[in-house]
Amino acid sequence: MEEGGATAKPRRATGRLCSTCNQRKAALKRPKTLEQICRECFYSVFEDEIHNVIMDNNLFKPGERVAVAASGGKDSTVLAYVMSELNRRHNYGLDLFLLSVDEGITGYRDDSLETVKRNEIEYGLPLKVVSYKDLYGWTMDEIVKTIGLKNNCTFCGVFRRQALDRGAALMKADKLVTGHNADDIAETVLLNILRGDIARLSRCTFITTGEDGPIPRCKPFKYTYEKEIVMYAYFKKLDYFSTECIYSPNAYRGFAREFIKDLERMRPRAILDIIRSGENFRTATSTKMPEQGTCERCGYISSQKLCKACLLLEGLNRGLPKLGIGRARGTNGLNKRVEQRNLRPERTGSSIESKQCGTLDF
Amino acid sequence: MASCGGRGGECHQSRCQRSEEDGGAEEEMRERVASLSVACDLPTSSATGDGALDRCTKCGETVAAAAPRAINGLCAACFRAYLFGKFKLAVTANAMISPTDNVLVAFSGDPASRVALQFVHEMQRLSLKNWDASKSQALPVFGVGVAFIDESAISICPLHETNKVIAQIRSIVSTLSPAHKELHIAPLENICSMSSTDGRIRLNELLDSVTDATGKEDFMKYLRMLTLQKIALDNGYSKLLLGSCTSTIACHVISATVKGQGYSLPGDVQYVDARWEVPVVLPLRDCTAEELSKLCHLDGLELLQLVKRPSNSINSLVSSFVARLRDENPSRERTIVRTAEKLRPFCFNKFVENTYHEFVPSRLRCKFQNINNSETALSEVLCPLCGSPLSEPEVQSLRNIQEKTPTLVENFTAHCCQSCSFQILPMGAESLQQFYTVLPQSVTVRVTGGTSDHSQLRELIGDCLLVDDDDDDDDDDDDDGT
Amino acid sequence: MHLTLEFGGGLELLCQSTKIHSVDVKPKPGEDKLAMRDLLVWVKSNLIKERPEMFMKGDSVRPGVLVLINDCDWELCGSLDTELEEKDNVVFISTLHGG
Repeated sequence: MEEGGATAKPRRATGRLCSTCNQRKAALKRPKTLEQICRECFYSVFEDEIHNVIMDNNLFKPGERVAVAASGGKDSTVLAYVMSELNRRHNYGLDLFLLSVDEGITGYRDDSLETVKRNEIEYGLPLKVVSYKDLYGWTMDEIVKTIGLKNNCTFCGVFRRQALDRGAALMKADKLVTGHNADDIAETVLLNILRGDIARLSRCTFITTGEDGPIPRCKPFKYTYEKEIVMYAYFKKLDYFSTECIYSPNAYRGFAREFIKDLERMRPRAILDIIRSGENFRTATSTKMPEQGTCERCGYISSQKLCKACLLLEGLNRGLPKLGIGRARGTNGLNKRVEQRNLRPERTGSSIESKQCGTLDF
Repeated sequence: MASCGGRGGECHQSRCQRSEEDGGAEEEMRERVASLSVACDLPTSSATGDGALDRCTKCGETVAAAAPRAINGLCAACFRAYLFGKFKLAVTANAMISPTDNVLVAFSGDPASRVALQFVHEMQRLSLKNWDASKSQALPVFGVGVAFIDESAISICPLHETNKVIAQIRSIVSTLSPAHKELHIAPLENICSMSSTDGRIRLNELLDSVTDATGKEDFMKYLRMLTLQKIALDNGYSKLLLGSCTSTIACHVISATVKGQGYSLPGDVQYVDARWEVPVVLPLRDCTAEELSKLCHLDGLELLQLVKRPSNSINSLVSSFVARLRDENPSRERTIVRTAEKLRPFCFNKFVENTYHEFVPSRLRCKFQNINNSETALSEVLCPLCGSPLSEPEVQSLRNIQEKTPTLVENFTAHCCQSCSFQILPMGAESLQQFYTVLPQSVTVRVTGGTSDHSQLRELIGDCLLVDDDDDDDDDDDDDGT
Repeated sequence: MHLTLEFGGGLELLCQSTKIHSVDVKPKPGEDKLAMRDLLVWVKSNLIKERPEMFMKGDSVRPGVLVLINDCDWELCGSLDTELEEKDNVVFISTLHGG
């Protein structure tokens, strides 16, 4: 419902009561239901909903080894906390560990990794850090020194996606969970519409992806509002890191994200409605999914001879950093279509989308 | 046939381009190529060399320096031909207008509907010319009428303004000859009651009970459609032509997504929408609002300035979002529409399944088309408040409710899609009951349309079942299946 | 009126990376009460040193910025119309940074 002009009432005098327990003072208004709810009831409904999503979608099997992608940011911090809590409470029987990627960005990632290291201790989850330096021989600092600030987000994005998979494989994980929340997924639905990417549009609302690959990924926060994640972290005093990447300080200034937030203010349920739309789109059965093979150099899943990371690396190592960037045709015998698809975030510019950085491609 | 024949090569080509399914990376480029190829196929004969300096990128003719430069470096004549070409391609490739048709053009006074009216008139004029020239004169020329919905009952526009606008419309329509065009001006409240005062009261009561700003707008849009349908039915029109353009459809794609109507969305964005009693066609689907305004400006087409209520709805938030995207990338609107186009449409989005009917005498073809429409419309359950086909979970919950022998109101609300249930239906049993009683009959009867298995309802609204029975009878000679 | 203002979730970057600000804010001349609406204007001109559009949009906070007054969601106490009281604690958290 569009927001009415609520008039100010003496707040401390009445102290609205929680609509669930009717005992304690309400602390927040839930965007999903518009209920006013106290902290304690919020904790339990927040956690229960995630538990229900996990159970309803059979996200895990007992005994699985699950990597929690941890960036030190709000979503992954709350994810690590809640996963460890639920695993204990409901006896999921999961072997959880934190998996972080060190891009090698001084003053940014090293600080956020400190946050993850504190989480390791607090939540009792072992931490594995995979670095770009180890995996690719280059840190982001070195890459930026070579190529400048123009296409750095492409490198970072491609490398990170692989890094998490490789790190998870290295640690013999069965699954990877990421902190994508409902706002993220709604934004992705919109972005795929704006780009005409029907293949991704049909996949981006899946709660689990890559089930045919070595390490399936899933998103337990698929229906969780960003507002609630931040409120949860604030009330629970969870320690998270919120500095922006020094190489792309304005990456979060996207039209689509801003639109989603405007929308949420007008009609909070719109975020879930967008996800529901995404789930119900009548995508034609004939829509071709890219064929998956493996990269002949690194063995990573790829629809081309060389995976994107190896192609980018080849360019870096041969001193031709433009290789694999932009709309170059025919070079390397690569299919231009795939090349363009991978590079779309670059091409459409930072103006429509947010978070090219720090977020995972899905 | 003169009006819609020929040019098969073009449609074929554009279909190929459309059916090529892949990731969206090349979308924008392909769009550019597609529009170029359409432009190149156009005859350049209509170009009138005004004889001066600048060169048109297509015909190469020099353009008078004083003449306003059109879009894409085209001269005014080529630009006009380019837009008319897109219109005509949409009409012919989708068999929108056949010679026996009587076409009702919905005219709102905005550039899109103004151009739609102009182009339909143009097409009719050309057909008449060909008809005069042909020896046999066997095939008739389609008829055209114009409908305007008078919303003064709910608008903030003062009465004298409305009267001025109506006089303006009369003058616009009267200039469009040869071929007389009937003008139908229907007050929106007619949908509630034929008596003007009673209608106004009921309409306002109805709209007041919708508290959500977006819901109110959407419901009004639906009432407008019902009004147009009523005008078309009452006056023997066989097609309803709307001026929806790329820009408005792009906005609809985003707003429908935002309202959770992803399932029904593809039904709304096709050239043909035959879920209504009188099929709706959108021949300007491939033109952007910018192009259409430009044409109005170039050709001096008169527009209506209607006072718009300031809007605080999701729809207006979406339009400003899309406008911002367009500023950043002018082809974004097309890309958005193309995305929606790749979703699977419904069977009511086509007149006929194969080209066989092209060879059937047109009078019969018309019948085939109608049969096909009624058959396909019945296979979907449509929300009675917006016309959206219900998704599987929605149909499932409807079935569950129907098993429990619901009351009339319960049955009605169960037929509403999730989006309308949230943004249109009032909360609480009493307000619902009240809302239901003021609903126009043309809305309430719609709950019978999709299902034929609730006998309780049949008894209660006996009058309306005639429609249903007609459809049943037709099933026998429905040989063109889907 | 003495207030404690706290910026988090990245918003502190807009005010020289200082998270907690202890401030004195006077109501507008001729008024005896300070509403959140006025506080936002005050914060924007007194504490925000860069990119004010990340903090405010129109006359309210930018959508995506959460506001808590004494640890209570401001949507529960009247949002912009909330009247502040002595020693209130107001927290602004951005949800727009990082993930």
